[in-house]
Amino acid sequence: MSCSGVDLKAYFLGELAAAERTPVETHVRACQSCREELERLNLTRTALLSLEQEEAPQRIAFVSDKVFEPRWWQTIWHSGPVMGFASAGVLSAAILVHAFAAPGEVRVPAATPGTAKIEQRIDREVSARVEAAVAKAIAETEARQDQKIARVLDTAEKRYESQRLADLAAAQQTIAYYEKKMNRWLVAGNDIRPAQ
Amino acid sequence: MIFREVEDRDLIAKARRGHVDAYNVLVSRWEKRVFNYLLRLVSNREDALDVSQDVFLKAYQNLKKLDDPVRFPAWLFRIAHNEAYSLLRKNRPEGELLVEPRTAEASARMYPMELSLAVSSALSRLSEDQREAVLLKVYQGFKFEEMAEILSCPVSTVKSRLYTALDLLKQTLAPVNMGGVQ
Repeated sequence: MSCSGVDLKAYFLGELAAAERTPVETHVRACQSCREELERLNLTRTALLSLEQEEAPQRIAFVSDKVFEPRWWQTIWHSGPVMGFASAGVLSAAILVHAFAAPGEVRVPAATPGTAKIEQRIDREVSARVEAAVAKAIAETEARQDQKIARVLDTAEKRYESQRLADLAAAQQTIAYYEKKMNRWLVAGNDIRPAQ
Repeated sequence: MIFREVEDRDLIAKARRGHVDAYNVLVSRWEKRVFNYLLRLVSNREDALDVSQDVFLKAYQNLKKLDDPVRFPAWLFRIAHNEAYSLLRKNRPEGELLVEPRTAEASARMYPMELSLAVSSALSRLSEDQREAVLLKVYQGFKFEEMAEILSCPVSTVKSRLYTALDLLKQTLAPVNMGGVQ
């Protein structure tokens, strides 16, 4: 087998069946350039796999909502074994009733509401609940946002007030210091009146 | 008592019946792989997370359309591929060429961090199609047939993209690694 007839990359990527791998392996053992090529591919893969897979910054999860949860009859409907037993039970009951009951007058069943109407009602109900849930979520988010803004404003106001008080106290201390200094200077006999 | 690991197909069956908790378990098994695949495609952590969430929501909404649960991985990555390209098309104005990647020359000896940067750089130098082929094969381990399904193209196209990408990566990365990363 010549080098051109060997799909070395398919072999390297694990895409060959067992029967196809053997001739490639035989060729690679005998061909130095293919051995080197395979080595380079392996090194490339090793380098690529050195790139660490990152964790998602946030878990993805979905919240169950009663609106979308299956009804009890849906659970039964989608369960094969339960449906099997239920069907067998209904069939048995029908056979028994048929065996014992006298044939009576055939009654035409009353018209039932169309499934389209029921579906429309379900759609309306689902839409209303979804809208209500969305509106509630928005209101809660806005309320949280308002609270956060109020807290930030309150903190800033307190910080400003305490800063103002500290500045005021510092100013008072400075004034008192200079008053004392002035008094000491006067007691020492200095006259502050302008010279005649 | 026999303990049996809950398999994806069991979770899919439950999720199809509306069990959100089962779906959440399924999401927890796949979110890291989907996130990393998208991260390398869209090159932005926030976008990758947003698109991951869209992917899993769309998968949940369409789970009943999945014929065979065994095909779930390829089906999920098909959704991820579509969502990622939808974002890339939206973000890229008409006619704009692909962004020229950063250049980071690989030297013979590199530390692991430098090697990671060199790999990121080498990947970003590939075309989007080539990069995606590498991501699906080397990092996600899909078979050619599955990749063709995900990418909606013939197997021959998948092979062509992947082989070209490997040749380009080999030129950049094989000398790096041969230099000996300690």
